Amino acid sequence: MKSITELLRDADPLLHESMTSSEQRDYRRKAILAVASRARDRAGAEPRSRVTLLVTLGFVMIVVLFFAERMWSPLVSNVYAAAVRFEVKLAEEKPAAGLHEAKVSGTDRSVYLHADAIVTNSDISQAYIIQADHSSQYNVGVEFNPSGTGKIRAATARHIGKPVAILLDGQVVMTAIVREPIAESAVISGDLSRTEAEKIVKGITTIR
Amino acid sequence: MNELNVARVVPVADIGNPIERLAILFDGHYDRLYRLARRLTASADDALDLVQETFLKAARYPRSIPVGFANEEAWLVRVLINIRRDQWRKNLTRSRFEATVCGKSPLGPTNGDLEGAVIARASVWRALDVLSPRRRAIVVMRELEGIAIPAIASLLGISQITVRWHLSMGRRDLTTALKAYTEE
Repeated sequence: MKSITELLRDADPLLHESMTSSEQRDYRRKAILAVASRARDRAGAEPRSRVTLLVTLGFVMIVVLFFAERMWSPLVSNVYAAAVRFEVKLAEEKPAAGLHEAKVSGTDRSVYLHADAIVTNSDISQAYIIQADHSSQYNVGVEFNPSGTGKIRAATARHIGKPVAILLDGQVVMTAIVREPIAESAVISGDLSRTEAEKIVKGITTIR
Repeated sequence: MNELNVARVVPVADIGNPIERLAILFDGHYDRLYRLARRLTASADDALDLVQETFLKAARYPRSIPVGFANEEAWLVRVLINIRRDQWRKNLTRSRFEATVCGKSPLGPTNGDLEGAVIARASVWRALDVLSPRRRAIVVMRELEGIAIPAIASLLGISQITVRWHLSMGRRDLTTALKAYTEE
């Protein structure tokens, strides 16, 4: 009498079949990359009429905001209030002259921040939501523009083995030890809900 | 923002070019996904199609793929299982119709010759169709791939208790479906 495990192992098709051939694998690889590449090209080729419409809408929005600011300043101040100030600062684990202590959100820990921010909102080319390991948790991905990439790479290259801090609206939301120079992108990870992650993404890209 | 916890190390990865990332994902995870897909499907062709569908989904949603090898693997495995679950639901409806209307023969052992052994293997493998793809994946990972329960839980993003429950239910369902073989 055989156990379930033995029956399954005997019947396992991978025992009796070879893995896919390299030709099959290459064929599938090319097909998948070709589909992805075509999809990307299509996305890049926006119809001209749509672009014109977007430009017009953008212009109308600017005009509306310009007059709204003059006529009803409280409305405009609310728009700015939704923005999220993003900063990355070098940090130290021990106090020293010129550093200021900051609590890390959600913990009892403190880090000691350098005064100047390495990168800020104006150094970001785009921000987006990334779903984390668990479906209810989200991270925020941030890509830096060439100027931001240069600044953060240079600063973190001289700061290996020490912490950096990511600040949102002046609060340290996460710290990480620099293992290698940070370049084009970084991920703000934590127990973020989708709403919180969306708020951060919108907020980060609101200020330029 | 006060409720934000300290997070893990800032991962630094070039996720700027989706095509390059897709190629890296394919090279890094294809074999693992094929092995799982083959054990979730009836034929090698079905497994190849399932893996292809998984990577096409990755191509459509490059921004939703988490950073890091283990996170990527978990994301791809879950997508693969979800795609298989959709296929399985469609097939389930069809097989219920066949069982009711066409009177399909039940599973059972055959004679002891070579052909009989091949048929028996196919019958045992067909018995796995009684399990939902997620349960089947858990049984496959534990029984055939030898992955520990905490690692399966982490890979599928569920608790260890849920994994144990699926394993227990899966073994029970298989024991019922393969009664003729286990009492041989």
